[in-house]
Amino acid sequence: MKLSKKVLAAFMAAGMIFGMAACGGGGTSTGSSAAGSSAAGSSAAGSAAAGSSAAGSGDKILKAAASFAYASLDVHKESYGWYTSIYGVSESLFKVDDNSKVVSCLAKDAVAEGNKWTITLNDGVAFSNGNKLTAEIVIKNLKRAAEVNKKYAKYADYKMEAKDEKTVVIDTGDKPVPTMKNDLADVTLGMIDIDNTKDFDNNPICTGPFVIKEFKPKGDVTVAKNEKYWGGSVALDGAVFYYMQEDDPKLLAMQSGELDCYNSVSADAMAVYQKEPDKYKVVSIQGSRLQFYILNQKLDAKVREAINLTVDKDAMAEFLKGSVSPATSPFASTTAYSKVNIPKVDTAKAKSLIEEAGYKLGSDGIYEKGGQKLKLKVCYYAARSLDKLAVLMQEQLKAIGIDCELKVEEDADATYIKTKDYDIAWYCMISDKTGDPQYFIDTTLAKDSNYNGGFTNAEMDKLIEELHSETDSAKRAELANKIIQIAIDGNAFGYTGIFNHTTVLKPGVSGFAENSPYDFYGIDAKTTK
Amino acid sequence: MNVKKQILKKIIELIILLVVLSFLTFMLMYLAPGDPVEKKLSAQGTAISQEVLEAERERLGLNRPVLVRYAEWFAGVLHGDFGVSMTDEMPVGPRLAAGLSNTMVLALSSLIVALIVSIPLGILSAVKQNSILDHIVKLLSFIGNALPNFLISVLMMYLFCIVFRVFPVVANNSFNGLFLPAISLAIPMAGRFTRQIRAEIISQLDSDYVTGLRTRGVKEKDVLLRNVFHNASPHIFTIIALQIGTLMGGSVIIENIFRWPGIGRLVMEAINGRDYTTISGFVLIMGTIYVVINFLSDLLQQSMDPRSIS
Repeated sequence: MKLSKKVLAAFMAAGMIFGMAACGGGGTSTGSSAAGSSAAGSSAAGSAAAGSSAAGSGDKILKAAASFAYASLDVHKESYGWYTSIYGVSESLFKVDDNSKVVSCLAKDAVAEGNKWTITLNDGVAFSNGNKLTAEIVIKNLKRAAEVNKKYAKYADYKMEAKDEKTVVIDTGDKPVPTMKNDLADVTLGMIDIDNTKDFDNNPICTGPFVIKEFKPKGDVTVAKNEKYWGGSVALDGAVFYYMQEDDPKLLAMQSGELDCYNSVSADAMAVYQKEPDKYKVVSIQGSRLQFYILNQKLDAKVREAINLTVDKDAMAEFLKGSVSPATSPFASTTAYSKVNIPKVDTAKAKSLIEEAGYKLGSDGIYEKGGQKLKLKVCYYAARSLDKLAVLMQEQLKAIGIDCELKVEEDADATYIKTKDYDIAWYCMISDKTGDPQYFIDTTLAKDSNYNGGFTNAEMDKLIEELHSETDSAKRAELANKIIQIAIDGNAFGYTGIFNHTTVLKPGVSGFAENSPYDFYGIDAKTTK
Repeated sequence: MNVKKQILKKIIELIILLVVLSFLTFMLMYLAPGDPVEKKLSAQGTAISQEVLEAERERLGLNRPVLVRYAEWFAGVLHGDFGVSMTDEMPVGPRLAAGLSNTMVLALSSLIVALIVSIPLGILSAVKQNSILDHIVKLLSFIGNALPNFLISVLMMYLFCIVFRVFPVVANNSFNGLFLPAISLAIPMAGRFTRQIRAEIISQLDSDYVTGLRTRGVKEKDVLLRNVFHNASPHIFTIIALQIGTLMGGSVIIENIFRWPGIGRLVMEAINGRDYTTISGFVLIMGTIYVVINFLSDLLQQSMDPRSIS
């Protein structure tokens, strides 16, 4: 009896210590919020349930997980606009629909006349405080983006004029900008009520269907319905985005009913959800993030072709268990600019090409020429599954007689991409930012582009130049297809996989951008629970 | 040497150590491939042109000589200003303070749980050496020590959040949010402590003074608690002091899994983003913590065992 009292006392003491420690934790949390949040005084969401109450009552509060969290909600800075867009807080003049087409949003249309673009705003667009979005405010936003974010510095060079309250004229000077509509669909160019926003980092006043209710820098974000939404009624009362980096807790939180949905679902979690289709709806579509390898043009052309005829992207996609789709072009197959032909795997032809290049198969099964083994330096970084792909590539190439030396770097851009010291370089990037191929072509194929192993082609350069001035989207797609086909035929790259945009939702939940190939959309006025 | 002199000597050592540490950290970060501008602008996976990168480097002052940047940063630290983050341009000081205080809460809670479990188990296992109980304790402490943090964390979460439904998966830094990470951190620590305490107690039990006490008929309880445990305490405190230093560095895995906003997660993000200012601030603080804890541990050991002063 004495012993059990002592044990009980020990447990009580432990409980008290935990209690005191927990109180201390709560206090520090407020302090932490105070450092950067205007919401410091508001109650922190202690749990999923508390999170719901923080956003409002009732069951029309969507609970989602977010894999990333940042210190600021300033739409124009860095890429924070991605997140204000996901939270349904900010909107841009245009948006990219599920088929990668630029459609109207805050602006009705944009028409080009020479190098002058006339942009007409939609009727009745207003910020969450009721103030109208005018042409002057649009210009102020673009100028501010140019000032605070070097990626948009070009807007400082354009001549911008408010023709009337709803018409903006942008003169790009000598340089044609055929992608103006796409550029203005960039979520980092979301519109803020610049004159009335007092705290850009914590509470920007925007036009979206939701407003910030509580923001914890680098933590959870709670939004509430924008009662004055210009686009009509908003289905949800609010939403909570819990910052959860790890896959397993997200899976467990879905199973315990604490989450309604999240995206970027891992392959392992997807397999669990797919076993219970009555409990979970899994939507997986091709996204916009491309896995590819760059072939150094110093390699023999026949060896490059042999590599591309050997690397089996279907086997790679299968190995990655549904998290990627085999790439049929650098872009999602639904786009008009993805109509190219990539030769199928043909290892017999690959071997004969290597032999044509003067190599002979050695006794160890590796080709050699003049006493030198055919050994390639394959550089990669251990993210976005590139480490797995590099090993698979090594196996596949070894099977036909090409040896590979794998070299992993923590930072690809600062090492092998910069020095070009590789035979094959793996990389992963978003190939389609706003429904247009120019960004990817400029990044990988234009003169002096970083992500190019030295591939040049006069016809391709001419086509790229045409692309820079062509405004018709059908003709642009045609040009892009020709350009990419030249790169494929020249064995400049190997496009292996496009990450799937995979979302899991509870039954009854919809509109969490589950059909969008882009990572920067989330909830909107139609999102339901 | 009296305590005042010791403190003065330690303070001088600490200042020299912090200057060297911060300088080395700054230089190592500078020499590492990549910079904060490239990291933050390409964070979403979009390619950035060299012109944009250069313009941003210029704006943030990263094109200035590294020694000038270090000197400016260190001068700021001397005035209590840890500078702004290279990643998001927010002040580093308050962020480090918040992360550190959250980590301290988690570290102390887990340490207390680990001690509550390991001290009785370690003593019991030593006293009942080679018995079934001893073997069971050794096995459990081995398993606890061998299990990786992430596995313990996910198992705890599954057990308490899904099977028993006692705690939410999506918790915050309240009691609900503290319990599971503290237990997950405590389990391997308790495994380690139990084995170390057991070994220390066995070594004391084998000493001649214990035989003498027992011969004189001193009660076994007094032998154990008043003599053996007392004499083993300085060594045990040293083990605990070293563990505190490690704990204060934070646990990235546990903090990530349980959404605990500690210093480990903060620093891992800073390292990935090449955030020089945050990393250097962290190194300064951790250097100070290590030195202070080791010094306090020395003082405690001296007060408990005056022989160690010589």
